[in-house]
Amino acid sequence: MSSSPRSRTTRGAVFALALGAVIIGLALVLVGFRADLLRAGDTFVTGLFPPIAVTTQGAQIRDLYAIVFLIAVAIFVLVEGLIIWTVVRYRRKPGDDTLPPQTHGNNIAEFVWTIVPTLVVIFMFIVSWQTLNAVDRSSNDAQTKIRAVAGQFQWQFDYLGPDGQTILYTELLPLVSQGGGMMVPAGRTVQLSLVSNDVIHAFYVPQFLFKRDVVPGRTNQFDFKVNDADVGQTFRGQCAELCGTGHSIMLFEVKALSPSEFDAWLADKAAKAAATAAPAASGAAAGDTIVITAQGVKYLEATVTAKANTPFHIDFKNQDPGTPHNVVIHKDSPTGAEIFKGAVFNGVAEKIYDVPALTAGTYGFACIVHPTMTGTLTVQ
Amino acid sequence: MATTTLTPAASTSRNALYEWITTTDHKRIGILYLVNSFLFFFIGGLLALGVRAELAQPGLQFLNDSTYNEFFTMHATFMIFLFIIPILAGFANYVVPLQIGAPDMAFPRINALSLWMLPLAGILLLLGFVTGGTAAAGWTSYAPLTEDHPLAAVGTGQDLWIVAIVLIGTSSILGAINFLVTIFKMRAPGMTLFRMPILVWTVLVTAVLTLMATPVITSALIMLFIDRNYGGSFFDPRSGGDAILYQNIFWFYSHPAVYVMVLPAMGMISEILPVFSRKPLFGYKAFIFATAAIGALGFSVWAHHMFTTGAVYLPFFSIMTFLIAVPTGVKMFNWVFTLWRGQLMLKTPLLFALGFLSMFLIGGINGAISASVPVDFALHDTYWVVSHLHYVLFGGSVFGVMAGLYYWFPKMTGRMMSETVGKAQFVLMFVGFNLTFFPMHELGLAGMPRRIADYSSTAGWNDLNMLATIGGFTIALSMVLLLWNIFVSLRSGAPAGDDPWEGNTLEWATSSPPPPYNFDRLPEIRSERPLFDLRHGRTAEH
Repeated sequence: MSSSPRSRTTRGAVFALALGAVIIGLALVLVGFRADLLRAGDTFVTGLFPPIAVTTQGAQIRDLYAIVFLIAVAIFVLVEGLIIWTVVRYRRKPGDDTLPPQTHGNNIAEFVWTIVPTLVVIFMFIVSWQTLNAVDRSSNDAQTKIRAVAGQFQWQFDYLGPDGQTILYTELLPLVSQGGGMMVPAGRTVQLSLVSNDVIHAFYVPQFLFKRDVVPGRTNQFDFKVNDADVGQTFRGQCAELCGTGHSIMLFEVKALSPSEFDAWLADKAAKAAATAAPAASGAAAGDTIVITAQGVKYLEATVTAKANTPFHIDFKNQDPGTPHNVVIHKDSPTGAEIFKGAVFNGVAEKIYDVPALTAGTYGFACIVHPTMTGTLTVQ
Repeated sequence: MATTTLTPAASTSRNALYEWITTTDHKRIGILYLVNSFLFFFIGGLLALGVRAELAQPGLQFLNDSTYNEFFTMHATFMIFLFIIPILAGFANYVVPLQIGAPDMAFPRINALSLWMLPLAGILLLLGFVTGGTAAAGWTSYAPLTEDHPLAAVGTGQDLWIVAIVLIGTSSILGAINFLVTIFKMRAPGMTLFRMPILVWTVLVTAVLTLMATPVITSALIMLFIDRNYGGSFFDPRSGGDAILYQNIFWFYSHPAVYVMVLPAMGMISEILPVFSRKPLFGYKAFIFATAAIGALGFSVWAHHMFTTGAVYLPFFSIMTFLIAVPTGVKMFNWVFTLWRGQLMLKTPLLFALGFLSMFLIGGINGAISASVPVDFALHDTYWVVSHLHYVLFGGSVFGVMAGLYYWFPKMTGRMMSETVGKAQFVLMFVGFNLTFFPMHELGLAGMPRRIADYSSTAGWNDLNMLATIGGFTIALSMVLLLWNIFVSLRSGAPAGDDPWEGNTLEWATSSPPPPYNFDRLPEIRSERPLFDLRHGRTAEH
C-alpha cells in the first residue's frame, strides 16, 4: 500500500509508452498505405449508413436512421469507453491485497441512469413515430397503381387502371435485362399493392430503404415516389422473406422512367396486350411438333430431338398454376447465345411456338424466369 | 427367508456409466446438460461453417439451395434449442442448489427426465438428415411455407422438427417448475429472497418466463402439425387459415425466449464481475428489479419481429421495445460500476465477462435502433438482423457461457483450466466474432437479405462476405483451443482447492467437486455474499 503510488506511476508510464508506440506504429503504417487505408476507412464509414434513398419516403427514413444511429454511436462510445477505461485503470497491482471500498450502490446514480435512458428512448420513439406517419401511408389518389404478384419464385407486375381493379398490362418478366422489370414514373406517387399466390414473400428494394411482406390471404399496400433526379436508373430488388428453395433467385428490378415516357410505355404495352388477348391458334404450318412440359419448375423432357434445316413447332405445356414459364433456345448449352425465345405465360396453359429452321448440332433450352430449368435439344 | 446379499461396489467401470445414466444428482445432471449442449454446439457450429463456406464467394460451391436451407435452419435450431437454452439450464442445475445451500433439486427424477428428453429430441432432429431432408424453413418455421407447398422442400424433417421442439419445450417446462419449487422451498436457513445470489434471481425470472411462454409455442406447433398431417386449416390461407396468426403465437413465445437465452448468462456474469473485482454487485436490488422488469416487458414486444407484415399496431410495439432497453441499460451501468474502483484480476472468466459487457452492449444498442419502425423497414430480414441477434446471443450468451465454464470448471472437476490457453481462446474468439458479425451490419445496410444461398457478384457484397467467412473459421479455431484446454485440464490441470477465486457464494464453501449431498456444514448467511462475510467479516461492509 505504501509502495502503491510509486508502482502505479511506473506502470502508468509503461502503459503510456506502449500506447504511444502503438499509435506511432499505426501512423507509420498509415503513411505507408495511406491511399488504401483512407479508402478502406471511407468505405467502412459509408457502409454504416444505408444507401442514398431514391424515393422521398426512403430519404425520410435515411434522415431518421442518421439521428437514431448517431444517438446509438454516442451511447456506445460513452459506455464502451467507460468499460475500457475502468478495466485499464482498476487492474489489480501484483501483491496488492487491499480490499477496495465495498460500495453497494447509489440510489441517485440508479435514478439518473433509469431516467436519462428513458428520456432518450422516448425521444427516439417520438421522432420514429413522426417519420412512420409520413412514410407508411397509402393514399387512394395515387395516379399510378401497380400490383406486385409474388409466387415461388418470381415476381409479376400488374399495371392497374384508376379503379385499382382493371389490369391494363401484366409484366411477367421481373428483370430489365430480360426485357421486363417494374417500370415506375419518377416524380409521381405510385401505389403498390402486394399479393401472394402461395407463401409469404417480401418486396424489398434496398435503395427504397423499405420492404413490406407479401402475405397470402391479405393485400398489403404502400405508396412511394421516386425522385425526379433518378430517371433512367434501375434499382435491384429481391424477396426478403424465406420462401423455399429458390428464395435467393427471386430477384426483380425497378426502373424509373420520366412520367411521359412511362405513359407512352404503358399505353403501348396495354394496346399490345389488348391485341393479343385472344391468343391465335398456331397455323398448321409444315414441320414436326415437339412436346415440352413444365411441371414443378422443371422440364419433364430433359432431352428432345428435332430435324435439321426444317422449321418445327414446340407444343409447350405449362402445368404450374399461376407460375410463368417459357422456352428459350440457346446455342450449344442453356447459357449459350440466344436463338429463339418463346412467349412467357402463366400456367396452367399451353402454347404452340413456331421455331425457325436450325442447323444440325446441340442446343440448350431454358426458362427465362427460372434459369435452373434447363434441357437439351438435339437437332439432326 | 429373504437372504439379502449386500453387493459391494464391484465392477465399477460398468457401474460408472450406469450411474451417470441413472443419476438424479443435480451436479451430474448439470454436467450431462453441459456435455450434451456442447455436443450440439459443435454440430451447430459445423453447420454454420457450411453456411459461411458457401457464402464466402458468389455462386454455389459446396451446397445447393435445399441443403443450404437445411443447414441454416438446423444451425439455428441446434444453437437455440439444444445449446443456449439447455446449457444455461445446465449451469443453473449445477449451481443453483449449491448457491442456495440445498442438497439437490426439489424433484430429482423429474430433473433427470428433463435432461434425457434433450438428446432424444436431438436425435429426432438429426434423423431428418437421413429421412430425405431436415426442416428447411428457418428456425421460425413460418406457415404457410411449412404447410405442404411443393416448392418449399419441407418434408418429414419438418414433422420431426415439430415433435422435437415440443419435446424440448416439455423438458423446459418441467425444468422451470423444478427450479421454482427448488428456489422457493429449499433455501438454507438465513437465505432470504433478497440474500439470494443474482444468478438464482435470474434463473427464477427465467423459469417464470419459460412457464408462461413455452405452452404457447407448443400450441402453435401442435396446430402446425395438425395442418400438415390431418388437413387442419389454422395457418393456411388456401383453406381459410391465417398466416400471420402463426407469427403472433410463435413470437409470443420466442421473444420472451430471447430473455430465457440471455438472463441466466447475465446472472452468471453478475456472479463473476464482483468476485474478480473484489466488490459487491453495484445496486443488487436495482438489478433484481431490472431483471423482473425485463421479464414483464418481454411479453409485450413480440410483434417487433413482424413490423413489415402490415398486420401490426406499430406504435405500441415500438414504444415497448424502446422501453425494454431501459432496464437493460440499468444492468449495464450496474455492471460497469461494479468494476469501478475495484481490484480487477484479469483472469479468463473475467475476460469473457468483459467480452459479454462490450459485445452485448452493441447487441442491445442495435435492438434500440431496430425498435425504430421506419428504420426497421430498411433493416428487417437483412444481414443487419443476423448481426444484431448474434451480438446478443453470441456476444452476450456465448461469452457468458464461456465465462461461466472457466469460472465453475474448477468446482465441477477439482482442477483449474489453463490460463494461457484460456486467454488465447478469448482473444481468438473475440477477434473472430467481430470479424464475422460486424461486417454483417454493413451487408444488411447494403441490402443483402438473410437466408439466401447465393448472391450476385455485382451486388457489392463480395468482400464483406469473405471477411465474415474468415471470421467464422477463426471462431472455429478458438473452439479447438477450448476443447484442448478442457481435455488437458481434465487430465493434468492444477488442483483447484475448494475456493480458487475467493468466491462470494455458497458453492465455494464445499469441496471441489462437492460430495453428493453438497455440504457438511454451511456458513452463516447474513448477506448475498456469505463467503465474503466469512473471509473478511461483516465489518468490511459499510
